[in-house]
Amino acid sequence: MGITFKNLGILLTTLISSGFLLGYSWGSGSDASFPPATHKLTAEECGSCHMAFPAGLLPARSWQHMMKTLDRHFGEDASLSPEENAAITRYLVDNAADSRNANLLMRRIASGIPSGTAPQRFTETRHFGYLHDEVPANIWKRAKIGSKANCVACHTRAESGSFIEREIKIPKD
Amino acid sequence: MKLYHLAVPLLLLSAPARAETPQQILAQYQQQAGAASAARGEKFFFARNTLPNGEVVSCTSCHTDNPKAVGKTRAHKQVEPLAPVANRERFTDPAKVEKWFKRNCKDVLARECTVQEKADFVAFLISVK
Repeated sequence: MGITFKNLGILLTTLISSGFLLGYSWGSGSDASFPPATHKLTAEECGSCHMAFPAGLLPARSWQHMMKTLDRHFGEDASLSPEENAAITRYLVDNAADSRNANLLMRRIASGIPSGTAPQRFTETRHFGYLHDEVPANIWKRAKIGSKANCVACHTRAESGSFIEREIKIPKD
Repeated sequence: MKLYHLAVPLLLLSAPARAETPQQILAQYQQQAGAASAARGEKFFFARNTLPNGEVVSCTSCHTDNPKAVGKTRAHKQVEPLAPVANRERFTDPAKVEKWFKRNCKDVLARECTVQEKADFVAFLISVK
């Protein structure tokens, strides 16, 4: 079999695309990073009571349900004006774990969520569970952590969307 | 639709909230409620209320016993001090003040606050030196 331009073309395409795919999956997989909530209104409003979680942590249906029930948001009233609500919902849905803007890590999160469910806490997803199963219960109770929603207590760069392992610093008390 | 048909509502939307002073915000509440009482506001700030689920809450649950101190939400996010003497931004944006009264009154009292309660509350916090 001689080397033809067609064969060379197929070979090169295969090499380039496999390299690209590997780089893509390694890149977003081991980086454990999400685009942070850069939308100003979302960052301000969600960020006034807790860290403004990245939209990519939950699928669109979760955000839609949450934004419809903000007056009873985990036992607190977090209601917004209809205009603010619509703008934030749009941003969250457009950047959700199952949106077309999702990276590989987000799509993995989305695929682990049963289709009939719309979890309201990322900490109750399978993905969070298996990444935190080595953290003993007593550590969660430490005063400086206090809540599973308090990502920044251990993930020092969580606010910028980065959750990589070497940035973890668990508070001693 | 011409572009200028959009211009006016867009300008209105982008207009920044008018900055006011805590005294101006207090004056607006007093206009609707009558004279405010810092002493009543202080009592209100520390009052404990039992929610239908049995949880005992008060303003101090998140804002601490000291209005000049930094507080903490249930999700452990820092809350800037309530007293204007410790936080110059406090009570300077009427829309923000109303938004948080609406939310937090429901959280603590399971109802909205009266204008009198709001006036007293602001009067108390302005009086903190």
